Formats: sequence, structure tokens, C-alpha cells
Amino acid sequence: MGKLDGNLLSIQKKNNRAGYFFILPLLIIFSIFLGYSFYFLLKNSFNNVTISFKSPEFVGFKNYTNVLTDSLFYKSLFNTFLLSASNIFFGLTIGYLVAVFLKLKVIAKKFFHAIFFVPSMLPIAIMAAVFNSMFQYKDGIINQILRSMNLDFMAQRWIADPQYAILSVMSVSIFLIGIPIMYYTADLSTINSSLLEAATIDGAKLRHILTLILYPMLKNTHKTIVLSMLLGGFREMDRVFLMTGGGPGGATEIIGTYIYRATRAPGSNLGKVCATSVIILFISFSIGFIQMKLTSSNKKLKGGIL
Amino acid sequence: MKKFSVAYTKDSGLMKTNFKEQILITLFFLIMLIIWSIPIYSLIKNSFKVNGILNYSYVLKNRINNVPFYRYFLNSGVNAIGSSLLVSTICVLAGFSFSKIIFKGKKIIYNTSIMCLAVSGPVLIVPFFFILKTMQLYNTPLAIILCEATITIPFGLLMMKNYFDSMPEELMESGSIDGASIYQSFFYLYLPLAKPALINLTVLQFMWSLQDFLFPLMFLTKDTLYTTTVAVNSFKGAYGMSPQNLGRYNASLVLIAIPSILIFVKAQKYIINGVVSGAVKG
Repeated sequence: MGKLDGNLLSIQKKNNRAGYFFILPLLIIFSIFLGYSFYFLLKNSFNNVTISFKSPEFVGFKNYTNVLTDSLFYKSLFNTFLLSASNIFFGLTIGYLVAVFLKLKVIAKKFFHAIFFVPSMLPIAIMAAVFNSMFQYKDGIINQILRSMNLDFMAQRWIADPQYAILSVMSVSIFLIGIPIMYYTADLSTINSSLLEAATIDGAKLRHILTLILYPMLKNTHKTIVLSMLLGGFREMDRVFLMTGGGPGGATEIIGTYIYRATRAPGSNLGKVCATSVIILFISFSIGFIQMKLTSSNKKLKGGIL
Repeated sequence: MKKFSVAYTKDSGLMKTNFKEQILITLFFLIMLIIWSIPIYSLIKNSFKVNGILNYSYVLKNRINNVPFYRYFLNSGVNAIGSSLLVSTICVLAGFSFSKIIFKGKKIIYNTSIMCLAVSGPVLIVPFFFILKTMQLYNTPLAIILCEATITIPFGLLMMKNYFDSMPEELMESGSIDGASIYQSFFYLYLPLAKPALINLTVLQFMWSLQDFLFPLMFLTKDTLYTTTVAVNSFKGAYGMSPQNLGRYNASLVLIAIPSILIFVKAQKYIINGVVSGAVKG
């Protein structure tokens, strides 16, 4: 014990130096933009402070109790999960079907392939702007279609009515299935097709294969999609901001717009925003931790964040 | 050596389907196509409102607050190039280090960095605002580049480390036998081999940067610096709500969407491989 060869020791020293040399840019960026940010959030979440960041006043846990008793905060959190839920739902259903079907013999495969990905690659700001005009009461295309089918009673104020506004925002998720399709396609290509051949010989129909064989086999991909989309909810902002602006009356407020609005409101207490951010970070890290635990037990999938 | 492109290049049919099933699948795709065409139809139709094709030439020629339309593309391009170069440089260096060099504290630094995958943009806008103000970077393209890079570095790191992990250890050993230092092994042996992963990451970050809305909205207040996504937001106010102006507004949306679509069509392979290689270990 303790009899380390001098040569080995110097190699280890050299490695330490090289190791840190290569991660130096990373450490610099992370310590300034993440490390300091976390410290800043934590410190100011106990302060009453305005946008000038001058003369902060220590208020203890008051910011936290303010956030945790704010009904709009819970509404935003709930809506954020609703958006994630709709992303997950469409990803796990339509996204799954599209991914499998694109692996079979279909006409115009390349065309369909591109069509399903493009909306996920467009700036969501554009999607939101388009959907905003689609859902207009008077001349939006949704109501025009409904009216032309003599379903006038179904034509709603999709954006102005608090009851429907969140549904309108959620409906955009149908078009954001590109990322789940990518994950499924990658996992599907690891499946041995002879297994499916055997099933077909045994008389399994396409629907059996879809529901009883492939779906359970892609269990890990489902998990990845669910967890990454849960986290993705906290990244959303543009969709709601440009479609409904969080309204009407906070009916579609999500965490992204809640924080943005509170930051931009003139003379607002940024300490409360910091407290909100700390709470959201805590939730995100918990989800991230679960994701890490789940994926470390299986070697094939390693995270996935989109 | 395994490559990440494996997952997508294999394009054999997963299974055989009978005629009836093929009809059903085609029907499914047709229904999807109809749903997909609703927003596209709505956008194109609105963009021709009142003045038809003239809406497009108006948008291209019109200056809002004395900023020509092409300026927004230029700004977005600068941010996208800057952040993608920054992300790929940092990640290729750090990914190599975490994968191939044994050094003190490696595990804890790597795990902490990867945990930051969970960090989202909105929670950071207040501290970023303060940091950028202090560094006097507020209202500069560099502000956007740094913020966007910070957010994607954990993903890029994961992707790069996975890629280097798939490279044989012997490469390093053979290098050191030949007397190459770690630095030489990296620049002459590993870096050239990491090119595919680097391209994937660069293209992906370019795409994400074009999609970004929150950071430019928050940290750019000068019209001359606006990116295309923020321009969408400001056009809404600038063009107003008359049918004629709505036509112009929608025409500008079409024009802004075109670069993203073109890049995706041209670089589809890299984008898909990039997204997947962050999630699937090769």
C-alpha cells in the first residue's frame, strides 16, 4: 500500500493537467452562466429587489410563501403539465404509428418523412402565429370549415374563451411529433425483423404486432419520451406567448410566460421571480434525477432531452 | 468502430404487410396529410390576402423602424453560427477529456454537467439579465450566442462523450507509444475521427438557434439586432390588424419559415443523427 511508482504518479499528474485543460472552456462558461446563476437565484430569492438590483432588502422566506400561495403559479404549473401531457399523448400515439409505418412499405416515403419532421424544425414562434390566425372567431380556418359543414354551433371563440383557449394551445402538439418519431425510428431499427416475421407466420395481424409486440418492446423509448417531454414543458414559452399571450385572464399561463411576465412587469419584485425559478429548478432536477436513475439501469438509452 | 449513422441508414422493411393493411396505412397517411395541410393552407391563403403576391414584395422592400427585412435573417444567421461554433468547440474538447483522460474529479464534474440537461431557459432569464448587464453584453449578438450555447452544452457534451466512448482505447495507447502527447493524440487522431459527430452537433445547434425566441426577446431591445423570431412578434404590432396588413404579416411568416425548411431538407441526415445520438448509445 502507498507504494506508488514515481513514474505512474507523474503520468497521473500529467493526465490531471490535460484533463482540466480540455474542460477549461466548459468550466468557464458553466461557472459564469450556470454556477453564478444558481447562486444569484438562491441569494435573491430571499430578497426584495427590483430590476436595477440596487439596495436589496432581506425578506426571508416571504417570496417563497408569496409564490406558493399565488393561485396563478399553480395554474401555470398545471397548464405546463397539460402542454407536456398533450405532447406526450400525441408523441406516444400518432408519433409511434408514423414511426412504425415509415418502416414499412409505403408510397412516397421520403415525402411523408420530411412532412412529419418539418413542423418540429420550424421556429415555434411561426407555428404559434399561424395557429393564432387559424383559431380566430370570424375568419379563422377552423371556424370556416365548421361553418361550411353546417356545424355552426361548434364554431367557438377558440382563443378568447378561457374554456377553449388551453385546448387550442394544446392542439399544436399534434404537429410537434418529429422528435418522438426520431427516437422511435432509432429504437425500431434495433429490432430484429425475423421476430416480426415469425409473428406474422403465426397469424399475427398488423394491429396485433402494433399493440402486443412492438409497443411493449419500445418501453424504454416511451420512458425517454415521457421524461424528456415533461422537462420540455418548462422550456415552452413562445407557443403560449404568441398564441394567447397567457390569456384570457391567465387561462393559458404557463411557467415560461409566468416568469417572463413577472420579470418584465414594471417595478416588480424580482426576488419573487427568483423564488419561482428556484422552485421550478427543484422540480426539473427531480425529474432529471429520475430520468438518470431510469436510464442508467439500461445501457441502450442515455437521456434524451428534447 | 460504431457510428451513430447506423440507426438511420438501415432502411429495410420491418415486416411484410398484406394488401388490406397497406390500404389502411395509406388511409392513415392521407388523413394525416389533410390535418397537416390545414395550417399550411391557412398560412398561404392569408399571405395572399388583398394584394396577392404583392404582399411578398412589399414585405421584402418595406423597412420597419428603418430596418430592412433581410437584416433579421442576417442577425439570426450570426447568432446561429456563433452559438453552434461555440457549442461544438466546447463540447468536443470536454467530451474528449471526459471520455479518454483519467483525471481527478472527472466523475463529479461530468455528472453535474449532465444534470444541467434539466435546466430550462425561462428560469435563467433573471440571472442572465444581471450577468449580461454586468458584462455589458446586453443588446449585443454575443449575449444571445452565450445564452443559447449555455443551454445546449449539456446535450452536446453527452453526445460528444458518447461518440468518443465508441472509439477504441487502443488509439490513445498507440499514440502514447509513438511518443505523442495527449494533446497531439487529440488533434491528430481523435479530432479528425470525431468529424461526423461534430457536424451533427453544429447543424443541430444552428437549427435550435434559429428556433430560439425567449433569449432574443429578453436580451435584445434594438430593432437592428432583432432575429427573425422576434421580428414575428414585432411585426404583429407594426403591421396592425387591417386585412391588407394581415396579408403582409402572413407573407412575412412564410418568408421567415423558408430558411428553416431549406436547412432541414438539406441537412436532415445530420439533424436526425444528432438528436438520436444524444439519446441512444451507439
